Amino acid sequence: MSQKQIGDVILDVNNISLRFGGVNALTDISFNVKEHEIRAIIGPNGAGKSSMLNCINGVYTPQEGSITFRGQTFSHMNSRQVAEMGVARTFQNLALFKGMSVIDNIMTGRNLKIKSNIFLQALRIGPAEKEETRHREYVEHIIDFLEIQAFRKTPVGQLPYGLQKRVDLGRALAMEPQVLLLDEPMAGMNVEEKQDMCRFVLDVNDEFGSTIVLIEHDMGVVMDISDRVVVLDYGKKIGDGTPEEVRSNEDVISAYLGTSH
Amino acid sequence: MAFFLEALLGGLMAGMLYSLVALGFVLIYKASGVFNFAQGAMVLFAALAMARFSEWVPGWLGLESKFLGNLIAFMLAAVLMYALAWLIERLVLRHLVNQEGVTLLMATLGITYFLDGFGQTIFGSDIYKIDVGMPKEPVFLLEGVFQGGVLVNMEDVYAACVAALLVAVLSLFFQKTSTGRALRAVADDHQAAQSIGIPLNKIWVIVWFVAGITALVAGVIWGSKLGVQFSLTTVALRALPVIILGGLTSVPGAIIGGLIIGVGEKLSEVYLGPLVGGGIEIWFAYVLALVFLLFRPQGLFGEKIIDRV
Repeated sequence: MSQKQIGDVILDVNNISLRFGGVNALTDISFNVKEHEIRAIIGPNGAGKSSMLNCINGVYTPQEGSITFRGQTFSHMNSRQVAEMGVARTFQNLALFKGMSVIDNIMTGRNLKIKSNIFLQALRIGPAEKEETRHREYVEHIIDFLEIQAFRKTPVGQLPYGLQKRVDLGRALAMEPQVLLLDEPMAGMNVEEKQDMCRFVLDVNDEFGSTIVLIEHDMGVVMDISDRVVVLDYGKKIGDGTPEEVRSNEDVISAYLGTSH
Repeated sequence: MAFFLEALLGGLMAGMLYSLVALGFVLIYKASGVFNFAQGAMVLFAALAMARFSEWVPGWLGLESKFLGNLIAFMLAAVLMYALAWLIERLVLRHLVNQEGVTLLMATLGITYFLDGFGQTIFGSDIYKIDVGMPKEPVFLLEGVFQGGVLVNMEDVYAACVAALLVAVLSLFFQKTSTGRALRAVADDHQAAQSIGIPLNKIWVIVWFVAGITALVAGVIWGSKLGVQFSLTTVALRALPVIILGGLTSVPGAIIGGLIIGVGEKLSEVYLGPLVGGGIEIWFAYVLALVFLLFRPQGLFGEKIIDRV
């Protein structure tokens, strides 16, 4: 296994609090993510993991706190800005374009990068032709990487669940993200599919150099692949550190296993 | 035989016009997952705008040339449709992101009634003419083959050419451009589209504008044939069976569905009508649509909906 170079802090979450009416979804959460690392967010159901991801992704606007991405600090931003800055995500409940083919789904991830004039694109002439080909090549590279060559023309809605998850990942990869947010990439998968997905996540991290923030339920998986782990429970941070540190943290153990009161 | 051909051609031409209206429905559905009930109202609104602007513009600018007057009127009407698209996005759709389809449908129902009323308030509620200089005189074709030849209305032929051109442009736009891809993406999933940086708001303005232009073209053609009046909105109801037949998500489906309905109506009226005392034309399309709903609910070309349980 290659020794990877973990860089400086790329994403810094400062004192985020998020409320829905009277419910405190997140309370005063701070953590950071370093370049090239795999950072996991874990916690029991309803701990606020997805809310945290949605805050980073610009879907939710936290009432308090800020997020610093590559030196720029934001207190609120929208999904498009986040996408433009190089943050891509996958979804816990698949959110694919079901009627479109695998290729078209992944090509949509390139949309922000396509610059040529719409009339040239429609006629496929001049620079637009070259640009389309270039993006198409990149997408083919991703398809090879995810081992879904056989399904490139299949409408995504017809694929089995595990493959749809891969397409979701492929679409995010097509954006050439600096930070990749994965919302339960292994949820609902069998052991074999989980192993495949683990391999893809590690390879993405390795080959594409993306920093990965990952939410996962499966403790085994998390401990195996992540560099550092944040643990949330009831919207509060109860642990933060390497898998070994987290594993021996009293609060984490009681949150996961329950305590005798 | 010549009579049959005439009926067939008449049906094809009527069908072409249904197709144009159906196309507007399909565009918005394909690109935003919204069934736009307001398409008929948009046809009327666009036609009214075109009719009145072509009356007013020569007076405002002191133009002599009718062609120039019509051109400017058309452009003004197009600008108006853009403004409409922008307003609909700003005031209605923006607030309904991620809502159920039925909520959006009800919103378009509201837009329908608003447009019906508002259009007549600013443009008046009389019957207006649109005269874009399409030749009115009929031509006889194939005189050597049949006695008396086949009567063809040149106006219809022009209309068909315009419709075909519009369809070609739209297919290129949808299939080949990144914007087209973004439109299809938005139709499938708002949230995912946002996450890859597709700006929903801009996309919706584009879609409604394109549907507005389609409505304008349909309105001009219908209007110059029948005059611009409130009954144009009912044309939209004729387009509903077309969509069921062709499939809600298919541009070629809208065209072929329209042609089938147009031809079916005419031929059934001509050949079956006398047997039952006529009047088939009015309900034929709906019965055909019902049959399709029973046996092929996704239409001829629609995407088969596969739901995993």
